[in-house]
Amino acid sequence: MLTPLNVILFGVVALLGVGFYGLLITRNLIKVVMVLQILVKAVILALVLAGKLSGNMGLGISTAATVIVADTIVAVVGLALAVQVRRRFGTVDVPQISTLRG
Amino acid sequence: MAAILVSLVIGLPWIGSVVVWLAGNKRSSFQHTTAVVASVLTAITSLVLLAFASADAVIRIPLGASFGELTFVPDGLAVSLTAIAAVVGSLAVIFSVDYMRGDAQLGRYYFLVLFFIGAMIGLVLSGNLLFTFFFWEITALCSYGLISFYNDDPKAVAGGMKALIITQVGGVGLLAGTLVAFAALGSFQVSDLLKNAEAIPAASLAFIAFSFLIAAAAKSAQFPFHTWLPDAMEAPTPISALIHAATMVNAGIYLLARFYPAFESVPSWTMSVLLVGLISATIAALSAVIATDLKRVLAYSTVSQLGYMVYAIGAGGVLASQFHLLSHAVFKALLFLAAGSVIHSVGTRDLRRMGGLGYKMPFVRNVFIVGALALAGIPILNGFWSKELILEVGLEHSSIWAYGIMLFGAGLTAFYTFRMVWLVFFGVEREHLHYHAAGSAMRVSLGILAVGTFVTWLLFGGLNGLLSTTLPFHEIEHESLVELVTAILSAPATWFALVVVAIGVGYSWVRMRGFKFFGGGALQPLVDTAFGFDSLNHFVVQLFSKSAERLRATQTGELNWNILGIIGGLLLVLVVLWMGA
Repeated sequence: MLTPLNVILFGVVALLGVGFYGLLITRNLIKVVMVLQILVKAVILALVLAGKLSGNMGLGISTAATVIVADTIVAVVGLALAVQVRRRFGTVDVPQISTLRG
Repeated sequence: MAAILVSLVIGLPWIGSVVVWLAGNKRSSFQHTTAVVASVLTAITSLVLLAFASADAVIRIPLGASFGELTFVPDGLAVSLTAIAAVVGSLAVIFSVDYMRGDAQLGRYYFLVLFFIGAMIGLVLSGNLLFTFFFWEITALCSYGLISFYNDDPKAVAGGMKALIITQVGGVGLLAGTLVAFAALGSFQVSDLLKNAEAIPAASLAFIAFSFLIAAAAKSAQFPFHTWLPDAMEAPTPISALIHAATMVNAGIYLLARFYPAFESVPSWTMSVLLVGLISATIAALSAVIATDLKRVLAYSTVSQLGYMVYAIGAGGVLASQFHLLSHAVFKALLFLAAGSVIHSVGTRDLRRMGGLGYKMPFVRNVFIVGALALAGIPILNGFWSKELILEVGLEHSSIWAYGIMLFGAGLTAFYTFRMVWLVFFGVEREHLHYHAAGSAMRVSLGILAVGTFVTWLLFGGLNGLLSTTLPFHEIEHESLVELVTAILSAPATWFALVVVAIGVGYSWVRMRGFKFFGGGALQPLVDTAFGFDSLNHFVVQLFSKSAERLRATQTGELNWNILGIIGGLLLVLVVLWMGA
């Protein structure tokens, strides 16, 4: 039952769960960026797993590498935006920012 | 050869539309020239295409596994409608050169007109239902843009919006029917649906048949969707001619005629089609009797004449409906364009302010009377032959009461047509209106259409030959022009109809003597509310806007709520998949 594949699958589901739960409850912009990162890590793991399962390991790993690059950019831009938002509005609380407007 | 012609007949107007648009509004004479050249070339190509009619697809473009092939099938039904759309459309474009002279936004105008003509041609030639739907939606979009062309006038914008919303109901019907047909047959090909209609389960086939009926009724402004067409009268008059005669409303008749063999066996489908036509023809004729706006009278008469075509299809007379479509396209374009030159000249559409204009505008009066005689069904104009053919089919294949009502409608048609003619061109001048003579481009279009009104019924043999040889599923008998003439002249139905028409004209004459043309009596409140259908439309619109207003509360724009929605949707999908598996 506890084969390596199952362990990885469990890891994917757990990371997804943590990520979605985080998105559901968090209001802090920096935390939003962090949980998005957790979600993307789940996706990377799932891509490698899919590559293994379909016997197409190379494709899975190369797609995962592409996602890593793309998601680093997302993280950098997201954090930079958070810094700007904090400077401008004095808060990183998402609902407050959306009611402030401008 | 046929493949090249088909590509040209769709491509030419579309290329022309882009060129006109890119030319920019500063070069207006170039825009006029390009539009006329593109539309006239399209018309010539469409006439050449008539010689290449065949039941087989001439263009096949594979679209991958799920969509099958995009095919274009130039069969008799398609090429005849292509010719009508292209020729009448090009005359409307020529007329526009005078009518729209000096308008600041010619680019938008001609772009939409040419795009509209191309889309209509694509609609009838397409052999793939999905693409029929795409072209169908393009025509809806263009009609919206053209009805609301004067977009600083709130009435025009409202009329365009109404047309768009109501014809969208029809679009949804067409899409739903198409998808069910695809689910049952695994193909979007029109020919597959016609060939394998018996193989489709009865319930699915009935769903497709009635969806297509809704689509056709919405597009052709038939009961209960007839309210958009009179409100579409805010458009520039050449556009009204285009929508009423060449494009748009013919699409619904085309759809019914195209799929008649497949749906014939569906229980009560033909009866429903017949009733839709009957009710539309009667309601619209009654409305036309008391309308006081010149263009509205013509709009109601279009709904009424389209009702005759739908009735003919319901009675099994596909040929009769297409013949009347041809006649109607010619004489209605003539009437609209002639009305357009009257309106352009005197600056009002109100019949109560016109009168006695015939002495000032003899040319327009003469061609208008030609169109009016055809609309009323007076021999030997084209409207006479086609309407008699419809009534004859109706007498043979539908109940006697339905025939009686249609006969009454023919009398009403004669009455309101002549009322309109008296009010515009004869009698006393009710108000002193400034006028100027029609321009030469207007005269060219009007002259061609007036000659056409006299002679297009001679094309019956050709139309019949096209339809009977290239439509394998329709079982249209071959009948020559001579046989038609003898059949109509010897049929008692013709003489009944002529008597009724004569009564209509006579009553109109009596009313004219007494100047009792305004005030509708008991009819007035009914017509003002479009026989209650305006309030029905209003109710539906209110229902949607109110529920949308309520649902707004769910759109908070907050991240957490959106995530909750996404996760909930995901869980729902998983549960459904798990339950299904």
